[in-house]
Amino acid sequence: MAVRQDEGAFEFEAEVQPAKGTVLYGEHLKLTDKSHIAEFAGYLMPLWYSSISEEHSAVRQKAGVFDCTHMGILEVGGKEAESFLDAITTNNVSALQTSSAQYSYILDAAGNILDDIIIYRRDKDKFMVVVNAANEPKIKAYLSALLTGRYFTAEHAETAEKEQGKFFLKNWQEAVLIRDMRDTSSGPDCRVDIALQGPISLEVLSKLTDTPTIEKAEALKNFTFFETNFAGIDCIISRTGYTGAKVGFEIFVHPDKAVELWRRLIDAGAIPCGLGARDSLRIEAGLPLYGHELDGRYDISPIEAGYGWAVELEKEFFVGKSAVEKYAKSSDMKVARIELPGEKGVRPVRQNDGLIKQGVCIGWVLSSATVGNRQIALVYMEKGKVVEGDSIGVYYLARSESQKSKGRKENVRRGDRFEPDIEGKIISRFEKF
Amino acid sequence: MVVKGLLYTKEHEWAKVDGDVAAIGITDHAQDQLGELTFIELPEVGKEVKQNGQLGAAESSKAASDVYSPVSGSITEVNEELKSKPELVNKDCYGAGWICKIRLTDKDSLKNLMDAGQYEEYLKGL
Repeated sequence: MAVRQDEGAFEFEAEVQPAKGTVLYGEHLKLTDKSHIAEFAGYLMPLWYSSISEEHSAVRQKAGVFDCTHMGILEVGGKEAESFLDAITTNNVSALQTSSAQYSYILDAAGNILDDIIIYRRDKDKFMVVVNAANEPKIKAYLSALLTGRYFTAEHAETAEKEQGKFFLKNWQEAVLIRDMRDTSSGPDCRVDIALQGPISLEVLSKLTDTPTIEKAEALKNFTFFETNFAGIDCIISRTGYTGAKVGFEIFVHPDKAVELWRRLIDAGAIPCGLGARDSLRIEAGLPLYGHELDGRYDISPIEAGYGWAVELEKEFFVGKSAVEKYAKSSDMKVARIELPGEKGVRPVRQNDGLIKQGVCIGWVLSSATVGNRQIALVYMEKGKVVEGDSIGVYYLARSESQKSKGRKENVRRGDRFEPDIEGKIISRFEKF
Repeated sequence: MVVKGLLYTKEHEWAKVDGDVAAIGITDHAQDQLGELTFIELPEVGKEVKQNGQLGAAESSKAASDVYSPVSGSITEVNEELKSKPELVNKDCYGAGWICKIRLTDKDSLKNLMDAGQYEEYLKGL
């Protein structure tokens, strides 16, 4: 686990508010029973419509459509937008071309991950930043605190390192404008995210757009996008996604057009997919989820998660850089992907179950999913103990009083001795489909 | 779906009483909430259970739920088929997806259970 300094941690307590439906809530109620809708990150979201496994297969074999309208979308604009984003995110924003997107992190000065994000450069001075729904209130508060000098004051800056000092003393407010792109105050510029993922995504899209649009969509490279209008719908079509599908798009539209787009994608053959399939797909692909494979209980850093390339230590400065430099070297843990038997009748592994190598606990399960007759799990484990192809076991933690009374442990530590309950093997960190 | 003639718990188990023996399972509402089941933990034959005591567990890849006993008694039989076919609980929770049979030791405790009409009302209030 990364050793962090506490100084400079951004403290934020979110207000608890009743969960609300997304703009597509009415559509969900038409497609699935209310009992399959659950609260997620403050929104009422469908867990599944038909079943997780059917929706998972649809994305791997055909195309699925996901309600991502709960995702936070912020616009960072103004003549200092680039240097501001460069200073507050880990990746290299100045190297980001217009019409391209970049995966990155927002850290606080203590090196804690506040969120993992995607930055879309729409123009020289105009960026769209997509943040996790669960982190949106925190990120908005953080950005506002940075802009108004409430996070670090001039007093802090005097004692801070030179580059850090320059950053915190700068009057960003004059040259950076941040807008919530899902708030009605953004008017016609408002955007929400609907994802279309899977091998026949282009065919689906071709049924609702014109030839020039589909040609542009076809020509998109990973992490690039274009802005277009089809059938009266202004949108941003981006070759990004969270399913590991080689072909997949995120379409950003005005919330007033979201229902229309959603219906037309489904009419064109896309299968609506809920949060369950979203999770099993991203786990199968090896993609991290904030709070599980990033930050969370084990305080996992981007570098441990396999995303060192998105933390540009060559950059002169970004908030959290000095902390990252320290913990990047000290960690002896990493995120890995494993596969285990998953036929019917096999007890599924769960978060925090122990990872066992030669009778010793070397880490924990972070996330898991059943895919066909296998279970795929993302795990956090000691570096250098096992490589791809090696066998690995899992010890099930107690999940009920009766199991506890039979001596099963409720938590395990590294170095504890256990015999595994189920055995599988290490597979490649990521996979594309 | 709620079946007439069965008795129900607030934890969404059902009991079908036939003389001194009750067949036990989880309700349609419970299987629907859990999603595709991948594992059913069965109780041991011969074990004594109290009403509301833990019988076993039902797990899907995304959720796990303990199964509590609607009645007091001793386990006389378990549905071995669920070991390899937990999906029977999804497909036919009131029939082929039964979990175990219990010889009743305290028939009075049946009074604590809901009938089909009461359970239906209870579901509406959730």
